[in-house]
Formats: sequence, C-alpha cells, structure tokens
Amino acid sequence: MKRALALIAAMAIGISACSDDGSGGIEIDDPWARTSATVQNAGAAYMTITAGDTADALVGVSVDTSVAGMAQLHESTMGADGMMMMNAVPSIEVPANASVSLEPGGYHVMLMSLAEPLVAGAEFDLTLEFEGAGDVVVTVTVRDA
Amino acid sequence: MGHGVTRQRGSARHVPSRFASTALALALVSGACGDGGTIGLAGIVREPYPDVSTVALPDESRGGQSFTTAAREEGLLMVYFGYTACPDICPTTLADLRRAMQALGDDADRIEVAMITVDPFRDTPEILTSYVQAFFADGHALRTDDQAALDLAAKAFGAAYEVTMTADGEIEVAHTAVLSVVDSSGRILVQWPFGMTVEDMQNDIEFLLDRGV
Repeated sequence: MKRALALIAAMAIGISACSDDGSGGIEIDDPWARTSATVQNAGAAYMTITAGDTADALVGVSVDTSVAGMAQLHESTMGADGMMMMNAVPSIEVPANASVSLEPGGYHVMLMSLAEPLVAGAEFDLTLEFEGAGDVVVTVTVRDA
Repeated sequence: MGHGVTRQRGSARHVPSRFASTALALALVSGACGDGGTIGLAGIVREPYPDVSTVALPDESRGGQSFTTAAREEGLLMVYFGYTACPDICPTTLADLRRAMQALGDDADRIEVAMITVDPFRDTPEILTSYVQAFFADGHALRTDDQAALDLAAKAFGAAYEVTMTADGEIEVAHTAVLSVVDSSGRILVQWPFGMTVEDMQNDIEFLLDRGV
C-alpha cells in the first residue's frame, strides 16, 4: 500500500514536470534497495520504469548526502570470458509504451559512500532525472531481496 | 596510491572462457544421458570434480589461521570469490544463498560459507570479516596479500578476476560471480553461475546432502 502511494506520488510529480498533458508520463514501479552489510560502502537500488506514449530516457540520478555520497546509473554485464563487470552508463533508454527493469545483474542505481547501512524497512527518496519528464522523485524501500 | 593493486591481472585470466565452454558441454552431456550421479542438480557439474583441497588461505575471521577449502565431515562448503565494494552482484548472490540456507532448516548447520576477496587492497581483514559475517554469522573471510597464492586459488576454482584503476582513479573490479559447492574431500561438486534462483540453490543443497557427502 505504501508502495502504491509512493508510486502515485512519483507519477504525480512526473506528470507535473511534463510540459504536455502527461500522456508521455513516466511510471516507476517497485523502487527498492537491498539491505547493506554494516561495513559495505556501496549499495544498489532497483525499479521498473514504464514510459507512456512518448519514449524517454533516464539520464541522471541523485540522492541526499544523508543517504549516500553519490548515486550513479550503472550496468552489470557478463564479459565474453564469463567475468561480471560493472560500468557507469550515461543514460537508460525507455521506449514508448514499454518498460525497462533495473534489477540485480543488470541496470541499477549504484549508491556510493553510504552514510549509514541500508536497513530493512527504511525508506529514502531518490531523484530520477528524465530527458523528457524531468525530475521524478521516488521513495525507495529497503529490503533483503 | 598502491601501484601494486592497480594491475592485478591474474594468471588465471583466461581460464573462464575455457571453463565456460567445457562446463556447458558437460552440462549438455549429463543432461542428455541422465547420469544418475548428477541428475537433479540445477548448477554446473564439472567431471572429474575439480580438486580444491590444496587451496589454503588465511582466514581473517579466525585470527588469520590457515583455512583449507574443504567442508567438514558430512557438510558442504560454499566458496565465493568477490569483493565488499561490489553493490550489485555480490550482495545479490550472498543474500540469495542466505535465503536458500534459511529454507533448509536444521540442515543449514551442515553448510559453511567462505568468501575469498579479489580486492585485498580495499578489503582489510576487519572489513572482509564484518561483511561476510553480516550475511553468515560463522562465515569465513579468506584474504591474502600474496598475489601468487590468490591466483593459484582462483585457478583451482576456475575463477578469474581483474582489478584495474580507471583514468580518474576509480578502482574497477571484474570477477567470475560463481558460487562453488565443495565437499569434505575438497572436491567441487557443483557450481552456480550468477542468476541461480534461491529454489535451485536449496534443491541442489538438499539433493547433495540426501545423496550423502
């Protein structure tokens, strides 16, 4: 229920940021971050992003320093040699009327220099910057998986 | 800083591609002929079982005493090569393993977990121990500054890693994200690539414990 409220809030902000009637609105579903081990200095947040009739792109992300020193868009990939690696990506494209998942092993928001461990049940705001929809603030819930 | 760690190009660098194709071939073969010894396992079985009983590294969770990568009698040891500054892959795998072990009930007491850091420069003994034990209360934190010893361990497990520093000074780590399931003789019975489900992990563990280890 809390998640649904956060989603509605996020959509409302997203739509209000749009210059058109909102039909190109962005929808964010199930934003969550994994609990972090006490000494772990990096965390990751995940979600599903759905675009409306207009394609959009997630081009940036930011978080309050009370949560983490920096947030970046990253992608984990498997190289030809079977090694997993992680790279920063400049943007994540969301085609019109389609969804893109940020999920373990793929795209994710990397949270660097965590101010405090991410504890199950906690919530924090993440500001997503879209090329078309502008800034969308989502409330991320921390959980184990 | 730390020129020594900016280029940790392990000698095991080229192992996985060979391993991957071999493992795939083996998986296909065992799937096709229904080998009674391995059928029912979701992970990758390499035969003959790779021997890692010769791998011994300092266990920082036990005051640095040498830990040999073999399970206790009638138990299983899960071995993972990773690093603590890993936000996505490592915690996903370790959290999934923890969930699989929680689903095992009393049998979880027969399972031990060891993490070998591929980033000993940043993963101090204290950081590594706290990290591993945040997931597994009795987890083993294996760490060495001896590049050759780490490379030998990686080679025995068919693991590879690469630690490099980017132009702007950020340390980047690439690694094979595989969990190896080892028996008390120090043989790798099955390996789980990234993405194995909690249910498959649980089923594989139960299968192996039921079969007798």
